[in-house]
Amino acid sequence: MKIDQRQSNNVDILELTGELDFHSSPELRDRLQDLLKKQAGKILINLKKVNYIDSSGLATFVETLQKMKRMNGKLVLTDLAPAVRSVFEIAKLDQIFHLAASEQEALTAFAG
Amino acid sequence: MPEKGNNAGPRFQETVVLDSEAKQCAPFREKLRALLIKAAFDDKTAGGIVLAADEALTNIIRHAYGGKSGRVEIDVRDFSDRMEITFRDHGQKFDPTQLPEPELPPTKGGGLGVYFMKQLMDKVEYDGKGPGNRLVLTKFKK
Repeated sequence: MKIDQRQSNNVDILELTGELDFHSSPELRDRLQDLLKKQAGKILINLKKVNYIDSSGLATFVETLQKMKRMNGKLVLTDLAPAVRSVFEIAKLDQIFHLAASEQEALTAFAG
Repeated sequence: MPEKGNNAGPRFQETVVLDSEAKQCAPFREKLRALLIKAAFDDKTAGGIVLAADEALTNIIRHAYGGKSGRVEIDVRDFSDRMEITFRDHGQKFDPTQLPEPELPPTKGGGLGVYFMKQLMDKVEYDGKGPGNRLVLTKFKK
């Protein structure tokens, strides 16, 4: 799992590459925890280059979403590949996450 | 004449033996994907089987062995009408089929692994007789 991090318009953007599983999700959890400690209020995670996710990866996102809700922050996931989106849908997580089609759509949502 | 139908032997089978480490999950998935292609499953079904099997392996690493080193044996058997994936470990007793159904959508991390196994496979069977655990995941071919 590779994690590229950048900022745009006060939005912290993480672009992930690889497979998000039991082995790789702790690294993502640590990175997100660091952002939350810095009071990051807007986090965008681009999943365009993620071709696999398991329940550990989903749990990382669910935990982050709950923490961000408590601090009135906003988390948006973008560019989910069909196979990854399907895993979100099986767990009905598409009902609670903001899943955007693109980074641009997500950045517009953050601005709104 | 070879036997046909549900009682016929496997068309092919392969045994994977690995240590109970998180870093073993990715190579196991890669191996399983190759076997699912050989068994002619479509991409979507194969993706579901890989996820279910990965969750089974993750549970063994987390719960049966509790993060300690241990041996995991996985038999993948392809029959004309189904694929069976059998996991054997020598860790603490852990019956994933007895876990309660998770709340959906989940509001906390965890609890989805067994749900995925049950949703994506046709049968999830646990056998705790003898030392360790034995779990069989079955997917029938449509």
